[in-house]
Amino acid sequence: MANSTSKTKSNAVWRFFSSVKLTLFLLIVLAIASILGTVIPQLPQRESLEFARGLSPGLFKLFSFINLFDMYHSLWFRVLIGCLALNLIICSMDRFPATWRQFRFRPGPDRSKPFENLPSNQTFLADGNVEDTATHIARFIKNYYRKIQRKHTGDRHYFLCEKGRYSRFGVYLVHLSVLIILIGGLMGSFFGFDGYINIVEGEQIDAIEVRRRTTPLKLGFEVRCDKFTVNFYENGAPKEFRSELSFSVNGKEMEKKNLLVNHPIKFKGMTFYQSSYGKIPGNKVRLKIVWHTNAHESVDIEAEKGKSFPLPGDEGQFEVLKVDANLRGMMGPAALISILPAKGEETRFWVFQNWDTLQTRFPKQMLQSPMLNASSFKPYTFYLQGLESKFYTGLQVNKDPGVSIVWIGCFLMIGGFFVTFFMSHRRFWVRVSSAKQGSTISIAGMSNKNPVGLQREVAHLTTILNDYLNKRK
Amino acid sequence: MINTIILSYITFVYFGAFMLYLLMMVIGKAIFGRLASLMSVAGLGAHTLAIIIRWVESYQLGIGHAPFSNLYESLIFFSWTLTLLYLIVEWRTKNRTLGAFVMPLAFLAMAYASFSPNITSRIQPLIPALKSNWLITHVITCFFAYAAFGVSFGLSLMYFLKRLDNDHKNSTFLNLIPQKGVLDDLNYQMVAIGFLMLTLGIITGSVWAYSAWGRYWGWDPKETWSLITWFVYAAVLHSRMVRGWTGKRIAIMSIIGFFCVLITYFGVNYLAGLHSYATS
Repeated sequence: MANSTSKTKSNAVWRFFSSVKLTLFLLIVLAIASILGTVIPQLPQRESLEFARGLSPGLFKLFSFINLFDMYHSLWFRVLIGCLALNLIICSMDRFPATWRQFRFRPGPDRSKPFENLPSNQTFLADGNVEDTATHIARFIKNYYRKIQRKHTGDRHYFLCEKGRYSRFGVYLVHLSVLIILIGGLMGSFFGFDGYINIVEGEQIDAIEVRRRTTPLKLGFEVRCDKFTVNFYENGAPKEFRSELSFSVNGKEMEKKNLLVNHPIKFKGMTFYQSSYGKIPGNKVRLKIVWHTNAHESVDIEAEKGKSFPLPGDEGQFEVLKVDANLRGMMGPAALISILPAKGEETRFWVFQNWDTLQTRFPKQMLQSPMLNASSFKPYTFYLQGLESKFYTGLQVNKDPGVSIVWIGCFLMIGGFFVTFFMSHRRFWVRVSSAKQGSTISIAGMSNKNPVGLQREVAHLTTILNDYLNKRK
Repeated sequence: MINTIILSYITFVYFGAFMLYLLMMVIGKAIFGRLASLMSVAGLGAHTLAIIIRWVESYQLGIGHAPFSNLYESLIFFSWTLTLLYLIVEWRTKNRTLGAFVMPLAFLAMAYASFSPNITSRIQPLIPALKSNWLITHVITCFFAYAAFGVSFGLSLMYFLKRLDNDHKNSTFLNLIPQKGVLDDLNYQMVAIGFLMLTLGIITGSVWAYSAWGRYWGWDPKETWSLITWFVYAAVLHSRMVRGWTGKRIAIMSIIGFFCVLITYFGVNYLAGLHSYATS
């Protein structure tokens, strides 16, 4: 088939893709290209944007034009991998007929070619006559080889033992496995998705964000995070992240499970992974209110956001309007207080948990605004003791229908490597001919690879056969 | 910790073995070679013991895990696999000259682990991502791959030295190095074993990544560099098995391959990525 194809007009393309030079070229180019992606930070990493900002406009244009910020998903990188796959297919198809012929080829047991230039140590003498010796040999080698052919012409007996014939296909198995892995990868990228979602403790979600997609994806079921816990070792390193999740369909709870790192949960074809966690302020704040009427008095109050509380001394009402775990990203935990006095206007101001540190870190003028003055409403001063915080768990949610195919490919690849590297197609010829006293036995071997291993086996076979025939008595 | 004390002494044992192998080659007396082998075997025995002690000690601390979890432990294990693999090759080939080229690598790994101020030898508890049954398989396969490629690197260096040898030169050192064909064959075997192990390492890594990070392949710098290494050795195997290249070209490619291994192992620590627990 290869011959007929190479004669047609497509032979230039065929010859191009059937060359191992192309394979070597593609492997080297892919290796060099992959290096680029490890040196240039790739999206969606934050470093990628920083790196891009540091480039000159021209260079930036060039880099984004050839997709260097997400190069492993770029068209040209995929084309390179596609070329490698095509190269691998064509190479295998081109060589397969020859392998098939070698696989089918059955040399006769009485071939003389293997015995040409036979080293003298592969020949020895035995006492018995040719017939007897041949019978003994037949009985003996049966224990070592399953595939044996026998022939005798005149006073000569021939044996041909064969093993590892199928190992000739090892390379094709490896090539096939690479293709299977690539197919699995393609299936994942076409029919799978890669999503994420944060769930606050006690809340539930029914949709997730998916990378490279603008609209959230409806799950068709609900996931609630009942509880999230994080444990630490004595040295401060994290020990365990645990999300207690419940899965329900149309409000009916179906499953309750603990999600841990390295122990994903599967539900309705989607896999959930523990990926990150964080804290968000809850609805409650702990406040300390100090006031001077007659004496210096203070009270601790736990206030819930959006609810009115009477001011101590009954001068009016106050309410927590907003809670921020880190106001403006640098001012730390803060709560916005609104005071509605019995008569007069509403007063609003922020109270900060870390007021003392803020005073040392920011210029005085910045903190003089009445909005930042916790004593704006005389005679009260508010202190923020703490925010109630809630954990949220960061989940990764994936669907990848190609994974099992990838694993099959991996299995085949390892099997293929064992066959290719450690097995060979070996043939051993044993010739028994008559000598002055008894008979002469010669052993020759041939192999498609690993000549050292073949020599070792021939030497071994010669030794054990010699021992068997000459020390039997 | 008794294990780290034993391990720091083993650094000197391996250095001694390296010196003895070198002496054997320079002076040409077989007795040094025998001593070197003896020293390496003794070192490996103590090394094995120290790793087991470390393993047990981690359980006594209540944070028990296989000692493969940080840079210190990985270097110790790398040196162990390298020495073990070398001794197997020495025993199979009945030739000791390779020792002068491989034992320095084992010694350097031990010295780096034991004496670098940036590497902590303390037994640290496992972070959640590392708590997996795949840790042991992944690390063992990867490090046997690294070790096989390390031996292949040593063989390639020997190949280039042997090229300097000719009939006019009467150098014991060069004379003792096996014939180029022998080196080339052995190099091929090491690359094949390394390639198989690297593939297994990448596969076990992907299975693990799939359960820990939700994807079997994510172009993390360490993953990518392992693939680059894989490409380079795939090129070595193809050029040899199909194009019939041998000798100098294969030796050059094996040396390049080992540099890729080193980047996969160490260089990647300077690039951002998910494998950062291997940095200290």
